[in-house]
Amino acid sequence: MAALRSTSARILGASSRPATLRLAAAPAARGFAQLADGATESQKASGDPANMKTFQIYRWNPDTPTEKPRMQSYTLDLKKTGPMVLDALIRIKNELDPTLTFRRSCREGICGSCAMNINGTNTLACLCRIPAEDNAEMKIYPLPHTYVVKDLVPDLTLFYKQYKSIKPYLQRDTPSPDGKEYRQSKADRKKLDGLYECILCACCSTSCPSYWWNSEEYLGPAILLQSYRWLADSRDERKAERKAALDNSMSLYRCHTILNCTRTCPKGLNPGLAIAEIKKEMAFSG
Amino acid sequence: MASIARSSLLRQSAFAAKSLRQQSVLQNAVRTSAFHTTSRRNILPPPPQRVEGTVNDAVPVPPPSPSHGSYHWTFERLMSAGLVPLTIAPFAAGSLNPTLDAVLCAALLIHSHLGFQSVIIDYIPKKRMPNARKFFMWGLNAATAIVGLALYEFETTDVGLTETIKRVWKA
Repeated sequence: MAALRSTSARILGASSRPATLRLAAAPAARGFAQLADGATESQKASGDPANMKTFQIYRWNPDTPTEKPRMQSYTLDLKKTGPMVLDALIRIKNELDPTLTFRRSCREGICGSCAMNINGTNTLACLCRIPAEDNAEMKIYPLPHTYVVKDLVPDLTLFYKQYKSIKPYLQRDTPSPDGKEYRQSKADRKKLDGLYECILCACCSTSCPSYWWNSEEYLGPAILLQSYRWLADSRDERKAERKAALDNSMSLYRCHTILNCTRTCPKGLNPGLAIAEIKKEMAFSG
Repeated sequence: MASIARSSLLRQSAFAAKSLRQQSVLQNAVRTSAFHTTSRRNILPPPPQRVEGTVNDAVPVPPPSPSHGSYHWTFERLMSAGLVPLTIAPFAAGSLNPTLDAVLCAALLIHSHLGFQSVIIDYIPKKRMPNARKFFMWGLNAATAIVGLALYEFETTDVGLTETIKRVWKA
């Protein structure tokens, strides 16, 4: 088939295809070959036995929207790369292909920028080790079921709009008795452990099939965990309003306890448990 | 596949001189269809992205309706929890008396109705397909009514559900 296609392309190219098209296609191919050569040359220079690893990365460029998204392979020597996937991505961007686009900021799992789908699991690239033992290719995609801005950058507009809708701030009418800060017992503070650590990386929401189907109306695990963080806060005085906002068919109850959220959370939190707690509170006191 | 490609190839060489543009279109179509390995998802494809309001507006909060929210959920759980003793009872007692059997039938019917309702709510979003949603919801209501009627007939004029299962089991 390939041979047939190439001969047909040659016939067609010779007769009808404009020369500019071929010229446009050529530099891309040559550029890619050079990149691969460059990697092997630098490895030869070092003398060490190299530990090569190939990364297949999702590429899509908004400047050429009609072009289909494709997977592009980059091969790196792991001996010269940091241990995490983000190190590899940064090295690819620095040394192999400056057009590769991804979000990153803190490189230590506290900002949530580098959330992406690595080998089929949503996680933070900065917290995901490159498995050094096997030589299998790593596949890196943007977060699933998101609108892609470019390459590995998802559009999280809806996610943040939904976050805003749950009023993620302390709502309180009575002033504190001594006019200072609102105090909380140690037991009440303890209720917020496992909730306040969420960095809103959207790994859990984009791993949830319910959120895939109904993201317009269902809030998703990350936002519901945040919702519970304010419901569980002893200082907040708008619990009834917060619960009423969730008391409909779509916002909360599209959760079917699939628990992909808990499995994927790169911070080790449990959004599934938080959602179950909300449901329990709504059932027994609402 | 190869034959398709070859025929287009032959046609090309034969008619290379005339109607070249038409040829390349046809050839591209063949090439494209030969290259597609993934399915074309025509069932509910993702819509183009649409941001309602500005990016800084919060998503609108739906009005509270406990009958579709918390009450509904609690009722669902009570139904499923109630089914456990109702299904175990016949094993303990050999068979159920007609009243308990009727209760089991009703609970099963309501449980499956709620289950299918959830499926419809999940997979036929009201926002995007309001007509299909209405159609399937009424279809489900009709199906439940028919099954309910049939179970009523079965319970009142025949041996009842648990007794039937017992007989089929031993047959």
